[in-house]
Amino acid sequence: MIKLTQIKKSFGRNEVLKGIDLTVEKGEVVAILGPSGSGKTTLLRCLNYLEKPNEGQITIDDFTVNCKRPDKKDIHTLRQKSAMVFQQYNLFKHKTALENVMEGLVIVKKLPKEDARKKSVELLEKVGLGNKLNAYPSELSGGQQQRVGIARALALNPEVILFDEPTSALDPELVGEVLAVIRKIAKEGITMIIVTHEMGFAQDVANHVVFMDGGVIVEEGKPNEIFNYPKEERTKQFLKRITPEGVYSI
Amino acid sequence: MGEPFDISYVFEYLVKLLPTLKVTLLIVVSSIVIGLGVGFIVALPQLYKIPILRRISQVYLSFFRGTPILIQLFLFYYGLPEVLKLVNVDVAKLPALYFVILTYALHSGAYLSEMIRAAVGAVDRGQVEAAYSVGMTGFQAFTRIVLPQAMAIAIPVFSNLVIANLKDTSLAFSLGIMELTGKSQTLAVMSRHFVETYISLAIIYFVISFGLEKLFHLIENKLLRHERRLSSEDKEPRLRKGKEKPFRIAAKLGFGRGGTENEA
Ligand SMILES: Nc1ncnc2c1ncn2[C@@H]1O[C@H](COP(=O)(O)OP(=O)(O)OP(=O)(O)O)[C@@H](O)[C@H]1O
Ligand SMILES: [Mg+2]
Repeated sequence: MIKLTQIKKSFGRNEVLKGIDLTVEKGEVVAILGPSGSGKTTLLRCLNYLEKPNEGQITIDDFTVNCKRPDKKDIHTLRQKSAMVFQQYNLFKHKTALENVMEGLVIVKKLPKEDARKKSVELLEKVGLGNKLNAYPSELSGGQQQRVGIARALALNPEVILFDEPTSALDPELVGEVLAVIRKIAKEGITMIIVTHEMGFAQDVANHVVFMDGGVIVEEGKPNEIFNYPKEERTKQFLKRITPEGVYSI
Repeated sequence: MGEPFDISYVFEYLVKLLPTLKVTLLIVVSSIVIGLGVGFIVALPQLYKIPILRRISQVYLSFFRGTPILIQLFLFYYGLPEVLKLVNVDVAKLPALYFVILTYALHSGAYLSEMIRAAVGAVDRGQVEAAYSVGMTGFQAFTRIVLPQAMAIAIPVFSNLVIANLKDTSLAFSLGIMELTGKSQTLAVMSRHFVETYISLAIIYFVISFGLEKLFHLIENKLLRHERRLSSEDKEPRLRKGKEKPFRIAAKLGFGRGGTENEA
């Protein structure tokens, strides 16, 4: 279980997160929606401690970090409990697909190389890249790179995988293959938090939808509730603006 | 002025000059090694934007890049003992070679730190975040992800700096060091075959520079193998239709110099 309590984050004078409370049950897939600049990315980055929240508490499993004075070891432990899939893939460019997935297993989890390799090959096969093990990122399409990114995140057996608009940097014809992989792992009961603008996808993969605006959670609930019977005016307006064509917009 | 030109002296002097090559190389290697250490220390406050140290390292950089190396040699050789005398350290008896190596190390260090800063900055921040996100420590992220890529990026600049350093060492003779140039001065004055001596000298510098350049080029190709373009056998037909991604174009334009050659 993941629990965020009163997460606050400012960049200088700009308060981007104004006290976020969010609970995510084990195995749940949460979609975060919201207009540009509402703080979705910042929230995910805080969860992974790539951004340091000013205040609040992050609990993953039974491990809690108090963001006011975290120590270095806490941050390290927290990061090991979550994994991030980035909008820009962020693969290690000097390593092959296989090495990208193995890296965390060998260096962080200290798995013997052979075991790490076996596990990584399995994961790459799972995301449909069994034939690309030795390709460097520069030799892969965006969709393929993002699938490596997903395999790299899966490899660490994190409590939760965080996706920040995983398909928005992709050419439209490559979006489908990545969404298919995410659907597949969602079915395996891995906890996921996904920031996305793919409304159709959010509607059928997520168990829980969160709508953010201006650094607060405006409304959250079951996909059906949020998409079909939104209560808040801001949610209604946001959904109205997202036209069917908007499905692939960035 | 000198004796009539006689080509046979060129070869003779080559042989006579070669033993002093080791002094030149000693200066180059030790000053580059020390310079790398210095460069690294100086680059850190710049990379991590540490306020006061950053200013200090900027002063260091502008001094060593803004004054001629010959002046730096004199300043260190004649000035440093005077300064150290004030704190009761006597270095006047130390061989001049030490001062030469120190000067070249600090001089190269300034340029090397710029190189390090630029190369580390060129590895995109996203990869470091990805490294953190898989649970690596800062040190692991630096040594496993940033450093290997920064090294590949830095090699062409490093190659230039080493060759520039090699050529600069020819000024060390002004402090009486018997390296290549110093030795050739003596030979030339004694035999009065000026042109022949300097031809031999030029040949030696040229061969070493050329060799170094080739060597670094090889290393660069090796380190940049991940920038290679698709090799034809694992190219998916579907991929060919797709737009070319910006970094692939960058690779073609020069980053992956090795890549395009290797494709044929
Ligand atoms: N590193 C930073 N420094 C300063 N301001 C930042 C930084 N990162 C984000 N911000 C600001 O925080 C606000 C929220 O940004 P964030 O990226 O979290 O929004 P988002 O909801 O992910 O938007 P989008 O849908 O466009 O990705 C923006 O106003 C942005 O300018
Ligand atoms: Mg964002």
